[in-house]
Amino acid sequence: MACSKAWTRHVDEKILTEHFGLANLYEIEAYLERGGYRAVTKALQEMTPAGIMDEVKKAGLRGRGGAGFPAGMKWSFVPKTSDKPKYLCVNADEGEPGTFKDRYILTHNPHLLIEGIIIASFSVGIHAAYVYIRGEYEAVAQRLEQALAQAAQKGYLGKDILETGFDLDVFVHRGAGAYICGEETALLESLEGKRGYPRLKPPFPATVGLFQCPTVINNVETLANIPVIIQKGAPWFLDKGLAKDGGTRIFGVSGPVVRPGIYELPVGTSLREIIYTHAGGLKPGKKLKAVIPGGMSAPILKADEIDIKMDFDSLAGVGSMLGSAAVIVIDEATPILDVLKKVAKFYAHESCGQCTPCRIGTSWIHKIIKRMSAGHGEKGDVDELVRLASNIKGKTLCPMGEAASLPVLSLAQKFKNELESCLKDGSG
Amino acid sequence: MESAGMKIVIDDRPVEVEEGTTILQAAKQAGLHIPHLCFHPAFVPEGSCRICLVEIEGLPKLELACATAVRDGMKISTQSPRVREARRGVLEFLMADHPLDCPICDKAGECKLQDYYQEYGLFEGAFKEAKEKRDKIIKIAEKLILDRERCILCTRCVRFLSEITKTQELGVFRRGIHSEISTYEDAPVQNNYSGNLVDLCPVGAITDTEFRFKTRTWFLEKSESICPLCSRGCNIYVDYHPGFARIPGTAKIYRIRARENLEVNGRWICDFGRYGFPSLEKDRGDKILWKKEGRDTIMSWEKILSLLAEKLRPRHRAKNTSNIAVVANTWMTNEELFLLKKIFMDDLGLKKIFFADPKPGPEDGFLLLTERSPNARGAKEMGLELDSVSLEGLSQNTDILIIFGSFLADLHDPSSLKNVLDKIRTKVLVSSHRSGLESYVDFILPASGILEKTGSLTNRDGLVQKFSAVCPPCGDSRPEWSVLIELAKELRINAGYYSRLIQPEVILKEMGKEIAFFR
Amino acid sequence: MIAGLSSELKKKIAEVVARYPKKEAAILPVLHLIQRETGAIGADEERWVAGLLEIRPIKVREVVTFYTMYHQKPVGRYHIQVCSNLTCSLMGGEKVIDHFQKRLGIKIGETTRDQRFTLSEVECLGACEQAPCMMINFDYYGDLTPEKIDGLLKGLD
Repeated sequence: MACSKAWTRHVDEKILTEHFGLANLYEIEAYLERGGYRAVTKALQEMTPAGIMDEVKKAGLRGRGGAGFPAGMKWSFVPKTSDKPKYLCVNADEGEPGTFKDRYILTHNPHLLIEGIIIASFSVGIHAAYVYIRGEYEAVAQRLEQALAQAAQKGYLGKDILETGFDLDVFVHRGAGAYICGEETALLESLEGKRGYPRLKPPFPATVGLFQCPTVINNVETLANIPVIIQKGAPWFLDKGLAKDGGTRIFGVSGPVVRPGIYELPVGTSLREIIYTHAGGLKPGKKLKAVIPGGMSAPILKADEIDIKMDFDSLAGVGSMLGSAAVIVIDEATPILDVLKKVAKFYAHESCGQCTPCRIGTSWIHKIIKRMSAGHGEKGDVDELVRLASNIKGKTLCPMGEAASLPVLSLAQKFKNELESCLKDGSG
Repeated sequence: MESAGMKIVIDDRPVEVEEGTTILQAAKQAGLHIPHLCFHPAFVPEGSCRICLVEIEGLPKLELACATAVRDGMKISTQSPRVREARRGVLEFLMADHPLDCPICDKAGECKLQDYYQEYGLFEGAFKEAKEKRDKIIKIAEKLILDRERCILCTRCVRFLSEITKTQELGVFRRGIHSEISTYEDAPVQNNYSGNLVDLCPVGAITDTEFRFKTRTWFLEKSESICPLCSRGCNIYVDYHPGFARIPGTAKIYRIRARENLEVNGRWICDFGRYGFPSLEKDRGDKILWKKEGRDTIMSWEKILSLLAEKLRPRHRAKNTSNIAVVANTWMTNEELFLLKKIFMDDLGLKKIFFADPKPGPEDGFLLLTERSPNARGAKEMGLELDSVSLEGLSQNTDILIIFGSFLADLHDPSSLKNVLDKIRTKVLVSSHRSGLESYVDFILPASGILEKTGSLTNRDGLVQKFSAVCPPCGDSRPEWSVLIELAKELRINAGYYSRLIQPEVILKEMGKEIAFFR
Repeated sequence: MIAGLSSELKKKIAEVVARYPKKEAAILPVLHLIQRETGAIGADEERWVAGLLEIRPIKVREVVTFYTMYHQKPVGRYHIQVCSNLTCSLMGGEKVIDHFQKRLGIKIGETTRDQRFTLSEVECLGACEQAPCMMINFDYYGDLTPEKIDGLLKGLD
């Protein structure tokens, strides 16, 4: 499948997209030639599981899926001794609208992920890992299966890896079309062969996870950062970031920009720089109206709010979030009502239906917005949207409640005038 | 002093609870009710309805009362403005997706949604959009109808069939707002516990065809009783309509529901019991009859008992009661069997009492037992041996036969019964139900049905369970214990003793004095 | 229909089932494999999968109706799934849908009379840098324009 756009970035030392220019980096021979699997060798033969975990903790690597939970800390929650087998689930569901970075990693550099999986498993004491990859990524899954077979053949997977006595099997598990399965406990339910209903927490997956066993769930990009942390150390990694958090992010830029695509840049790069310097700014004749900085679930930023550092804390500080670092650019010609319509439709369609506020609230919100789009909006509709979204936020079984409500709240609040001008009895 | 408990405060009320107690359980202990829909004590917390959210001091988000275990020192509010707002929010969402069916819905009056709206809602509906239209009359079992518009997707029904009966006839199909409860293809819910789904459903989504549109819950008097249809002794509620004063024939029992007793039946009853009660009301005998020379004469209790006593007295005086036979049954209460034994065996000197009981049936591996009568254990604990009737034995040397219950008609064919009974000079039938036996006897005494009696029964496991009459006796019928005491008084045996036994409670106490088991 | 599964497919299925400590966990990949073969997951397929994984058929249907990629009825030879999410919409996705509807003479959710094309609207496919994009069966196509669409359709039999 085509991965046609640029992935240029301007960091002196590339972490994830290094060698992306090579056409066959996904073949293990090419990968090995470029220094591949040295991190695995170092980790398994020169380090201890505890030492690895410490290094990852020190590097402050935060989850790249959306929630941003520190990876090392997550690993440490798994009990050291357990009479149950432990599992690693790699979250390659990539359902957050605007996000496509993991697809690039899986397509261009699957071995980087495999290395991360091996090192993480070794550190936590895991001997079976499942890569949960969204069902639509069939070709991508095939590429990954191929890479896994090559890695096994070379002895990096299977029994007694590098003669250290460490066993690990990695399986690819394809999803079947459900955004909610990107939520870690819904992912577990889906992997177990059930409907993707998120679970109540506590207990947390670290103690009761896949098949009721201790489980770590990490995003693709998160694991892809592990090899370099092992090779170059935590201080090097921290240094690469421009914020408190270290390392780089693969920012995805989409919408009416000159060069949509992925950009690996230091954590904390400014949003303005990402859009204008790297993605080439808006297409000719188009003016910036708004930006969604971290995937559709992230509260929207207005055109005058893009001088912000793209890191977890800075964005949280202005009421938005870094999420999956998927930058969606919106231009002046796009009515905000259309954006709201797409947002509402998505969450109503993807609600799993388990809990009351999300199941009924997302549908109610969608119905109001459809009515507004058909020209039958009434005075008070925008306030009603805010009220309903507030009744969903914080009341649901899983974070989908926040995902469904925060965008509606931010759109309704920041673009209130524009939305109300569409209403009857409004000013339009 | 060492305290194993945790000290918490709920709504300014201090409570001490054991480790592992949830906020919901702790509140119940403190006498506070927290609304809940998907939670049910028989299942692991589900956490999907979200109506039980409460505020815990120090925690930023509201937490589920049903699924959160208390910690020492927790301060919980179930009435704070935030909690009220959250509850109202959940109710509003539910109502936005719920039809305004109350006027035609059986659940009205005992519907959780109605109750909670009354208590925590009372807002004006703000939903202006088109409601989802769903199928409303789906037959999911022989006696169950599913209404998908009313369903709030609490999934109690699905979980019951998954965890309790393990038959999994129901599942949730589709996703989001389109989620729906469904059976698989044509496979209905088919197990001996399907009726519990009606009790379990918090709203009127699952209704019972036996009860549908028959009455209104607020007309019904709820009484506690014991199911008599097998020896498990499941605790039940009987919902009885006392009748409209000016409309004859409106007094009746409308349904049976499960009553919780964790020692006996847990939280459920089987369909055999639940749907078996109409048979208790059919074909009731309600008149005292003396069949003489082809004519039925209606009598009074005084007259008939006097007649009966006349027949029995000479044998009693002559101390020759060997040609009197009594057939009893184990549907009779402890008190009745005690009196029977005392009068006929101890006082009148009968060697034994025969028993005719319903034929045993298959057990179901859960509650329903093969023994289809409620008090066999009670009879045994009194020293009665459950010798079944042999017609041969009866026909030899029997002059007076007193039959309690009509089960004999189920156990033997009419011609054999006729042959035997024709040879016996005096035949008395004391039964709550009409049967073919009536054509072969001389005296018909209507006994009250089990739901019209007060007394106690001993279940298979030896638990003595008391129960009170749910409704007045049918017609002229009287409970057997009352008939026996009057008979004893007519016979003037042990007068002082029997005249003291004025109520079943008194009889039971007396039994306790004489038999260790009933203490 | 379900009886005629090739031994090769059955072998693949057995291989997949062996990857999980519990059989029922294999249901998603097994359903993908079956659907590839039979075109849809009907009651027969549900019962077969239920037997294989030792679960009840109702549990199979619960899964089939939850995930959007499983169909209970067959789709056309070419299942055209156009993304209708935000970025694709910003980049002209509605025009793509309109164009397909015009060209094929069907609306969203419908199949052409000759059973060749089914047109569906889907959510974000994860290829936003190539918006507007779509999948035809399992292949991705991006940067769609009416001309490109016409070219693609011409190449399909």
